[in-house]
Amino acid sequence: MRVFVGQRAWLLQRASAVALLLILALGAALLLVGPPLTYERWHALATSPHGAVIIVLFFAALSLHGWIGARDIVLDYVHSLPVRLSVLAIIAVILFAVVIRVALTMAAHLSLVS
Amino acid sequence: MRSPAGGAPKFLNLIHIRFPIGAIASIGHRISGVLLLISLPLLVLTLERSLGSEAAFESLRTAVDTSWWRLVLLVLVWAAAQHALAGVRHLLMDIGIGSPLAQARTSAWAVILTAAIIAFAAAVRWLA
Repeated sequence: MRVFVGQRAWLLQRASAVALLLILALGAALLLVGPPLTYERWHALATSPHGAVIIVLFFAALSLHGWIGARDIVLDYVHSLPVRLSVLAIIAVILFAVVIRVALTMAAHLSLVS
Repeated sequence: MRSPAGGAPKFLNLIHIRFPIGAIASIGHRISGVLLLISLPLLVLTLERSLGSEAAFESLRTAVDTSWWRLVLLVLVWAAAQHALAGVRHLLMDIGIGSPLAQARTSAWAVILTAAIIAFAAAVRWLA
Protein backbone atom coordinates (compact mmCIF):
# COMPACT_ATOMS: atom_id res chain seq x y z
CA MET A 1 0.00 0.00 0.00
CA ARG A 2 1.77 3.07 -1.17
CA VAL A 3 -0.53 5.56 0.50
CA PHE A 4 1.32 8.14 2.55
CA VAL A 5 4.62 6.30 2.80
CA GLY A 6 8.23 7.26 3.43
CA GLN A 7 9.13 10.86 4.01
CA ARG A 8 5.62 12.10 3.23
CA ALA A 9 4.16 9.80 5.89
CA TRP A 10 6.79 10.96 8.37
CA LEU A 11 5.91 14.59 7.69
CA LEU A 12 2.14 14.04 7.74
CA GLN A 13 2.44 12.12 11.00
CA ARG A 14 4.20 15.10 12.58
CA ALA A 15 1.94 17.71 11.00
CA SER A 16 -1.22 15.88 12.10
CA ALA A 17 0.27 15.41 15.58
CA VAL A 18 0.86 19.16 15.91
CA ALA A 19 -2.65 19.90 14.60
CA LEU A 20 -4.16 17.47 17.15
CA LEU A 21 -2.15 18.99 20.01
CA LEU A 22 -3.22 22.51 19.03
CA ILE A 23 -6.90 21.57 18.79
CA LEU A 24 -6.75 19.66 22.08
CA ALA A 25 -5.09 22.67 23.74
CA LEU A 26 -7.86 24.90 22.34
CA GLY A 27 -10.49 22.52 23.67
CA ALA A 28 -8.82 22.38 27.08
CA ALA A 29 -8.61 26.18 27.18
CA LEU A 30 -12.32 26.47 26.34
CA LEU A 31 -13.12 24.03 29.15
CA LEU A 32 -10.94 25.84 31.67
CA VAL A 33 -12.13 29.37 30.98
CA GLY A 34 -15.72 30.37 30.83
CA PRO A 35 -18.82 28.74 32.26
CA PRO A 36 -19.10 24.98 32.79
CA LEU A 37 -19.89 22.89 29.74
CA THR A 38 -23.64 22.63 29.52
CA TYR A 39 -25.43 21.21 26.50
CA GLU A 40 -26.32 24.72 25.41
CA ARG A 41 -22.74 25.98 25.49
CA TRP A 42 -21.31 22.83 23.87
CA HIS A 43 -23.94 22.91 21.12
CA ALA A 44 -23.29 26.59 20.42
CA LEU A 45 -19.51 26.06 20.30
CA ALA A 46 -19.60 22.89 18.22
CA THR A 47 -22.19 23.95 15.65
CA SER A 48 -20.78 27.41 14.98
CA PRO A 49 -18.96 27.50 11.61
CA HIS A 50 -15.57 27.71 13.35
CA GLY A 51 -16.40 24.95 15.80
CA ALA A 52 -17.74 22.59 13.13
CA VAL A 53 -14.71 23.09 10.88
CA ILE A 54 -12.32 22.54 13.79
CA ILE A 55 -14.14 19.35 14.81
CA VAL A 56 -14.02 17.98 11.27
CA LEU A 57 -10.33 18.95 11.02
CA PHE A 58 -9.71 17.22 14.34
CA PHE A 59 -11.21 13.93 13.16
CA ALA A 60 -9.49 14.22 9.79
CA ALA A 61 -6.12 14.74 11.49
CA LEU A 62 -6.92 11.92 13.93
CA SER A 63 -7.75 9.52 11.10
CA LEU A 64 -4.69 10.49 9.07
CA HIS A 65 -2.44 10.17 12.12
CA GLY A 66 -4.09 6.87 13.05
CA TRP A 67 -3.66 5.53 9.52
CA ILE A 68 0.08 6.21 9.48
CA GLY A 69 0.58 4.75 12.96
CA ALA A 70 -1.58 1.70 12.30
CA ARG A 71 0.18 1.10 9.01
CA ASP A 72 3.58 1.20 10.74
CA ILE A 73 2.41 -1.34 13.30
CA VAL A 74 0.75 -3.65 10.76
CA LEU A 75 3.86 -3.63 8.56
CA ASP A 76 5.98 -4.52 11.61
CA TYR A 77 3.88 -7.38 12.94
CA VAL A 78 1.72 -8.76 10.12
CA HIS A 79 3.92 -10.50 7.59
CA SER A 80 1.43 -12.53 5.58
CA LEU A 81 0.63 -10.39 2.55
CA PRO A 82 -3.08 -11.26 2.17
CA VAL A 83 -3.71 -10.75 5.90
CA ARG A 84 -1.70 -7.53 5.85
CA LEU A 85 -3.65 -6.12 2.93
CA SER A 86 -6.96 -7.16 4.48
CA VAL A 87 -6.17 -5.57 7.83
CA LEU A 88 -4.94 -2.37 6.17
CA ALA A 89 -8.03 -2.24 3.96
CA ILE A 90 -10.36 -2.65 6.95
CA ILE A 91 -8.56 0.10 8.87
CA ALA A 92 -8.59 2.41 5.85
CA VAL A 93 -12.33 1.91 5.27
CA ILE A 94 -13.16 2.53 8.95
CA LEU A 95 -11.01 5.68 9.15
CA PHE A 96 -12.45 7.00 5.89
CA ALA A 97 -15.96 6.32 7.16
CA VAL A 98 -15.16 8.15 10.41
CA VAL A 99 -14.18 11.32 8.56
CA ILE A 100 -17.16 11.18 6.18
CA ARG A 101 -19.58 10.52 9.04
CA VAL A 102 -18.22 13.34 11.21
CA ALA A 103 -18.29 15.74 8.25
CA LEU A 104 -21.92 14.81 7.50
CA THR A 105 -22.89 15.07 11.17
CA MET A 106 -21.33 18.49 11.57
CA ALA A 107 -22.82 19.71 8.29
CA ALA A 108 -26.26 18.59 9.48
CA HIS A 109 -25.87 20.41 12.80
CA LEU A 110 -24.25 23.53 11.40
CA SER A 111 -26.07 26.62 12.56
CA LEU A 112 -25.38 29.42 10.15
CA VAL A 113 -27.47 31.90 12.08
CA SER A 114 -25.66 33.16 15.12
CA MET B 1 27.12 -7.34 29.89
CA ARG B 2 30.76 -6.61 29.33
CA SER B 3 33.11 -9.13 27.85
CA PRO B 4 34.63 -11.67 30.22
CA ALA B 5 38.15 -10.75 31.33
CA GLY B 6 40.55 -11.05 28.40
CA GLY B 7 37.95 -12.54 26.09
CA ALA B 8 36.28 -11.08 23.02
CA PRO B 9 33.15 -9.05 23.64
CA LYS B 10 30.01 -11.17 23.75
CA PHE B 11 26.78 -9.63 22.56
CA LEU B 12 24.76 -12.80 22.78
CA ASN B 13 21.14 -12.25 23.70
CA LEU B 14 21.89 -8.69 24.68
CA ILE B 15 18.69 -7.41 23.14
CA HIS B 16 16.71 -10.07 24.97
CA ILE B 17 18.23 -9.32 28.34
CA ARG B 18 17.99 -5.56 28.35
CA PHE B 19 14.78 -3.66 27.91
CA PRO B 20 15.78 -0.03 28.38
CA ILE B 21 13.33 2.66 29.42
CA GLY B 22 13.35 4.11 25.90
CA ALA B 23 12.05 0.80 24.57
CA ILE B 24 9.28 0.77 27.18
CA ALA B 25 8.33 4.33 26.20
CA SER B 26 8.26 3.24 22.57
CA ILE B 27 6.04 0.21 23.26
CA GLY B 28 3.83 2.41 25.44
CA HIS B 29 3.48 4.84 22.55
CA ARG B 30 2.31 2.01 20.29
CA ILE B 31 -0.04 0.37 22.78
CA SER B 32 -1.64 3.69 23.71
CA GLY B 33 -1.95 4.59 20.03
CA VAL B 34 -3.75 1.33 19.26
CA LEU B 35 -6.10 1.84 22.24
CA LEU B 36 -6.93 5.36 21.08
CA LEU B 37 -7.50 4.16 17.52
CA ILE B 38 -9.86 1.43 18.72
CA SER B 39 -11.81 4.02 20.71
CA LEU B 40 -12.20 6.32 17.69
CA PRO B 41 -15.62 4.95 16.60
CA LEU B 42 -16.75 5.36 20.21
CA LEU B 43 -15.60 8.98 20.10
CA VAL B 44 -17.60 9.59 16.92
CA LEU B 45 -20.74 8.12 18.51
CA THR B 46 -20.15 10.25 21.62
CA LEU B 47 -19.85 13.36 19.47
CA GLU B 48 -23.10 12.57 17.66
CA ARG B 49 -24.94 11.83 20.87
CA SER B 50 -23.62 14.96 22.60
CA LEU B 51 -25.06 17.14 19.84
CA GLY B 52 -28.32 15.24 19.41
CA SER B 53 -30.37 16.73 22.25
CA GLU B 54 -30.01 17.97 25.79
CA ALA B 55 -31.35 14.65 27.11
CA ALA B 56 -28.81 12.71 25.03
CA PHE B 57 -26.03 15.01 26.23
CA GLU B 58 -27.00 14.41 29.85
CA SER B 59 -27.33 10.68 29.24
CA LEU B 60 -23.61 10.63 28.40
CA ARG B 61 -22.88 11.91 31.91
CA THR B 62 -25.00 9.24 33.54
CA ALA B 63 -23.48 6.56 31.29
CA VAL B 64 -20.04 7.55 32.54
CA ASP B 65 -21.28 6.99 36.10
CA THR B 66 -21.32 3.23 35.62
CA SER B 67 -18.10 1.62 36.79
CA TRP B 68 -17.43 -0.22 33.52
CA TRP B 69 -17.42 2.96 31.52
CA ARG B 70 -15.28 4.63 34.15
CA LEU B 71 -12.74 1.88 33.74
CA VAL B 72 -12.80 2.28 29.95
CA LEU B 73 -12.46 6.03 30.34
CA LEU B 74 -9.58 5.57 32.78
CA VAL B 75 -7.68 3.39 30.31
CA LEU B 76 -8.31 5.98 27.60
CA VAL B 77 -7.13 8.82 29.86
CA TRP B 78 -3.89 6.92 30.43
CA ALA B 79 -3.58 6.18 26.70
CA ALA B 80 -4.20 9.80 25.71
CA ALA B 81 -1.73 11.14 28.30
CA GLN B 82 0.93 8.57 27.42
CA HIS B 83 0.51 9.07 23.68
CA ALA B 84 0.43 12.88 23.78
CA LEU B 85 3.41 13.16 26.13
CA ALA B 86 5.48 10.60 24.24
CA GLY B 87 4.48 12.34 21.02
CA VAL B 88 5.67 15.72 22.30
CA ARG B 89 8.93 14.00 23.33
CA HIS B 90 9.33 12.71 19.78
CA LEU B 91 8.54 16.10 18.25
CA LEU B 92 11.11 17.79 20.51
CA MET B 93 13.70 15.20 19.51
CA ASP B 94 12.88 15.83 15.85
CA ILE B 95 13.95 19.44 16.30
CA GLY B 96 17.04 18.34 18.18
CA ILE B 97 15.95 18.80 21.77
CA GLY B 98 16.77 16.00 24.20
CA SER B 99 18.19 13.46 21.78
CA PRO B 100 21.44 12.68 23.67
CA LEU B 101 21.03 9.30 25.36
CA ALA B 102 21.05 10.49 28.97
CA GLN B 103 18.42 13.16 28.27
CA ALA B 104 16.35 10.75 26.20
CA ARG B 105 16.33 8.27 29.08
CA THR B 106 15.31 10.97 31.56
CA SER B 107 12.49 12.20 29.31
CA ALA B 108 11.30 8.62 28.71
CA TRP B 109 11.01 8.19 32.49
CA ALA B 110 9.29 11.56 32.79
CA VAL B 111 6.72 10.63 30.12
CA ILE B 112 5.90 7.24 31.66
CA LEU B 113 5.67 8.60 35.20
CA THR B 114 3.64 11.68 34.27
CA ALA B 115 1.14 9.58 32.29
CA ALA B 116 0.89 7.19 35.25
CA ILE B 117 0.32 10.09 37.66
CA ILE B 118 -2.41 11.53 35.42
CA ALA B 119 -4.09 8.12 35.22
CA PHE B 120 -3.76 7.71 38.98
CA ALA B 121 -5.33 11.14 39.59
CA ALA B 122 -8.23 10.20 37.31
CA ALA B 123 -8.60 6.87 39.12
CA VAL B 124 -8.71 8.59 42.52
CA ARG B 125 -11.33 10.98 41.23
CA TRP B 126 -13.58 8.45 39.50
CA LEU B 127 -13.12 5.13 41.20
CA ALA B 128 -12.78 6.21 44.81
